[in-house]
Amino acid sequence: MKWFGALLILAASTWLGFAAARLLHERPRQLRQLKAALRALEAEVMYGHTPLADAAMHLARQTTAPLSELFERFAAALCTEETSAAEAWEKSLRAVWGKTALKQGEFEVMKQFGATLGQYDRLTQQRQIALALAHLEREEAEALDNQARYAKMAKSLGVLAGLLLVILLM
Amino acid sequence: MEAVWGILPKTVAAALQHHLPSCRRGIEEIRIRVSRPLEVIVDGTARLLPYEVTKEDGVHLLNKLSHYSIYAVEEELKRGFMTIEGGHRVGLAGKVITEGGKVKAIRDVSSFNIRIAKEQIGIAEPLIPYVYDGRWRHTMIIGSPQTGKTTLLRDAARLISSGTGRIPAQKVAIVDERSEIAGCVKGIPQFSFGPRLDVLDACPKAEGMMMMIRAMSPDVMIVDEIGREEDSEAVLEAANAGVSVWTTVHGRNIQDVWQRPTLGPVMEQKVFERFIELTNIPHPGSIRRILDAGGTVLYERAVVHR
Repeated sequence: MKWFGALLILAASTWLGFAAARLLHERPRQLRQLKAALRALEAEVMYGHTPLADAAMHLARQTTAPLSELFERFAAALCTEETSAAEAWEKSLRAVWGKTALKQGEFEVMKQFGATLGQYDRLTQQRQIALALAHLEREEAEALDNQARYAKMAKSLGVLAGLLLVILLM
Repeated sequence: MEAVWGILPKTVAAALQHHLPSCRRGIEEIRIRVSRPLEVIVDGTARLLPYEVTKEDGVHLLNKLSHYSIYAVEEELKRGFMTIEGGHRVGLAGKVITEGGKVKAIRDVSSFNIRIAKEQIGIAEPLIPYVYDGRWRHTMIIGSPQTGKTTLLRDAARLISSGTGRIPAQKVAIVDERSEIAGCVKGIPQFSFGPRLDVLDACPKAEGMMMMIRAMSPDVMIVDEIGREEDSEAVLEAANAGVSVWTTVHGRNIQDVWQRPTLGPVMEQKVFERFIELTNIPHPGSIRRILDAGGTVLYERAVVHR
């Protein structure tokens, strides 16, 4: 019985450690996806002259969940509701953000970016996208750094903390 | 008309509903000017409605017109008008941004003029005996602004591309520099035409006519408002390539057209075989005279003396 309890504790803490590590892995991956999406948006704006709603639908198809949901919601909001593009963008961001591994820093970047969406001519729009990309780049570097530093540690910490707890309780 | 209600800000739509509940059918123009009263032209008479348009209405309308994407309507903002679904045209005015002396875009759009497009299906049919005798003759429609030149040209395009009982449909090419004849949205004509019709939308006329001759082998070429020198050249080229040309020209009568220096070559070579003079009395689209190349009057409307 005792041994069974010890195993349970160990399994739980190991799982916690791995979950933390997965978040650390997910963040740079999602940031990369977000960057790719912005680049695709740039192409849509510069060469396709595609209206935002259509462009967002294309982006939703190119990305995977949870980011695809962001673009889907945005496209739907533009088509149905009487709001500005910035408002629709922020609303969709808020709705989706909880499901991603992304943090406050990226949220601010994306929110700022949304305020410029569809308000300018092509060249200015391109500059705004480039600006957002530069900010995301910085966040990604930080996220990669965190991943390298903490991902392994989180895993081992999970296992070791479990072991410690088991030893103390035995 | 539904497309227009779709783009109007709710406040403006509500004001229109409230003040003009009955005469929605007759609306010809809706003029929206920021911080001035809403103007509606119904059946030829202007009416100012007691609703002052706010800045937000203007922003909202522009957002709707551009589908929230200013970058996608850059070309339209440069030209000063855009065509929406249903072929309605929205004219724009505001602060102009120039670059190197040329208009780059209109920013801070403060005036919108929504012109409701009306199709007049069938108005070209009475012309058939005058302009068709085994083939469609080169035809020039002459009229002052607002006399229904383009409307007549549009119906002629419909007629030629769909054919009638006796006349088979022919290949029609429209070069629509101002998106007015076919009223294209994303390249698709919004008015009713026959099946054998190709449109080059928003393309400069002279270049577009050459493109069409080379690419689409049309039987009849339809262009709006020729007036520049290169247009005349292209018309000559098309006529010599065996394509019937239908066009409109600004002017009150055929003498006015002779006076236009840029149209000199076309007139001297007697390219056009039929001239249709339009007048807006008693109503737009009334045909005053039809002449042939020699100046012989084929039809003259009896003038009513009172």
